[in-house]
Amino acid sequence: MRLAASDHFLQGHKKQLPGVSRIRRDRWAGRLFFVFSMVPVALALLIFVVLLYKSWPLLHTHSIWQLLTGRVWKPEEGLFGFWPFIAGTFVVTLVALILAVPPCLLTAIYLSEYAGRTLRAIMKPLLDLLAAIPSVVYGVWGIIAIVPLIQNKLIPFVHRFFGDVPFISSKNPTGFGILAASFILAIMIMPFIIAVLVEILENVPRGLKEASLAIGSTRLQTVRWAVLRGVMPGVVAGIVLGASRALGETMAVLMVVGNVVQVPHSLLDAAYPLPALIANNYGEMMSVPLYDSALMTAALILLIIILIFNIASALVLQHVLGRKWV
Amino acid sequence: MLKMVRFLLAVSLTALLLGACGNSSGNSSSAPTPQPDMLNGTITISGAFALYPMMTRWAEEFQKIHPGVKFDISGGGAGKGMTDALSGAVDIGMVSRAIKPAEVQQGAYYVGCVKDAVFPVVNSKNPVIDVIMANGITSDTLRKIFITGEITTWGQVVGKPDVTDEIHLYTRSDAAGASDVWAQFLGGKGQADLKGIGVNGDPGLLNAVVSDPLGIGYNNLGYAFDLSTGKLPSGAVVVPIDSNQNGTADPDEIFSTLTQASAAVANGKYPSPPGRVENLVTKGKPSGLVQTFIIWILSDGQVFVSEAGFVQLPPDQLAEALVKVK
Repeated sequence: MRLAASDHFLQGHKKQLPGVSRIRRDRWAGRLFFVFSMVPVALALLIFVVLLYKSWPLLHTHSIWQLLTGRVWKPEEGLFGFWPFIAGTFVVTLVALILAVPPCLLTAIYLSEYAGRTLRAIMKPLLDLLAAIPSVVYGVWGIIAIVPLIQNKLIPFVHRFFGDVPFISSKNPTGFGILAASFILAIMIMPFIIAVLVEILENVPRGLKEASLAIGSTRLQTVRWAVLRGVMPGVVAGIVLGASRALGETMAVLMVVGNVVQVPHSLLDAAYPLPALIANNYGEMMSVPLYDSALMTAALILLIIILIFNIASALVLQHVLGRKWV
Repeated sequence: MLKMVRFLLAVSLTALLLGACGNSSGNSSSAPTPQPDMLNGTITISGAFALYPMMTRWAEEFQKIHPGVKFDISGGGAGKGMTDALSGAVDIGMVSRAIKPAEVQQGAYYVGCVKDAVFPVVNSKNPVIDVIMANGITSDTLRKIFITGEITTWGQVVGKPDVTDEIHLYTRSDAAGASDVWAQFLGGKGQADLKGIGVNGDPGLLNAVVSDPLGIGYNNLGYAFDLSTGKLPSGAVVVPIDSNQNGTADPDEIFSTLTQASAAVANGKYPSPPGRVENLVTKGKPSGLVQTFIIWILSDGQVFVSEAGFVQLPPDQLAEALVKVK
């Protein structure tokens, strides 16, 4: 009886296979899948090694500390100070997060706790669409809409009322600068952060919410005291995801950020983030000595910043959750 | 058996695909072609925005004679053209500045093909536009605006201290021949010496000035004038450079049409730099289809140069270039 059943089972496979061959195939398939899963990891390592190798001529002849903290960028004279670019990268990303996180959190809470099914069904594809717009389109939109708005409306206002308030007043008379870049970045990373937050909020055990509502809490109280308490680490994870994306965004940022080599002191100053440095000067790297090496060093620094960022956030999450976070 | 057939089919298809790719980018004149008109293949070109409008015209005319030849032309700036040509990403790089010794060492083979120039451009609604058009601006004043940053208001430019409108200074963010030539005209070494907000690309820089009444920038001949009408682009004005420093813009220093401007570049009335020779760069001496195309540019193709608003090289330089490429 059992034999017949297994015969029938094997016939379903067109061809009868001896058991050994089947197991061997399975083992080989496992190995093949392993090799392919290792490809991305190996590629990431390879990129790191190649960048290190290419930046070696510069790292070898200049002190790393001076490279990282130097403020003068004159490749033709052999002066490579990366601090303005590193500072620019951080400031643009930080301002983008400050602009993006509060509305993202509110949107996510609304979508997961308040919104009806229809609205949610409409919002999801809309947010996906926002995520799918190419960054150069965001850049063009920034140039024709955001930059003039800042230049013609915001800057005169700032000059009148905040003429000498630190971090706001600026000598840059144009709308190209950190605020424009960060505003566009904020909109670009919003769909990603919202998607993660909604996912997390919807995972809060239903019983918890119902218990809270049952003792007479309003929805707002439930969100405030029952839902958000448990998911803070997840919220951090969502923000980190947005930040990692913002750190590396190139095209949209370089189109509106102003590309002036300086350490920014104000929201309205122009800046020059690392990805823009690489993209803009890719062309000159063949002709100035050490320039290609310097651009590879910029890429290496960017990679390390993103790496540190991800590792640090993983450690924080691990600490907060008190267990291994995957 | 079936598997074997499938495998062979897949392999041969892949080989066919790869082979096809290889052929299309390679030179085709080595293939047995009975008539010269049977030229076919693809020529890829990238680089200087200055040469871009001229190159598209040449490609168009060349295609009329040789319909089998396809072109893939993109901008990106002189630096990109050089890097792309040296790395083999394109067949011809358009480079709108002098070729550096380091680039020749790496195999850059270049011929001059046409002349043009870079022009200072301001917005037509500039608050002191009448004075500028009447008096012109000396190169020393431009130096104080673009290189040293001593002059920061339009009042200082025209000697009217009561006008306190700030100058909104724009420059190119991408590695550009125009920037190098413009900086050299003003006593600098290269692009890094120019101050101002960095905007991406020749069209981007023009757009920044056109949308900002207090803006000043610089553009290549083909963008400082509208090539289809031969007039100034709407919203922008080419600043007269007061070359003889007599304090007035003489009739031969004011350019309101493409014809006037290119005539001044041709007869040397317009200083050089910012006038300059445009180069075509190949990796090593060109051969096959690319060689045929460059020879055509230097001979029959010269007919279209003045039509497109550019300036022909003097006959001796053209002959020299032909010898170099043949």
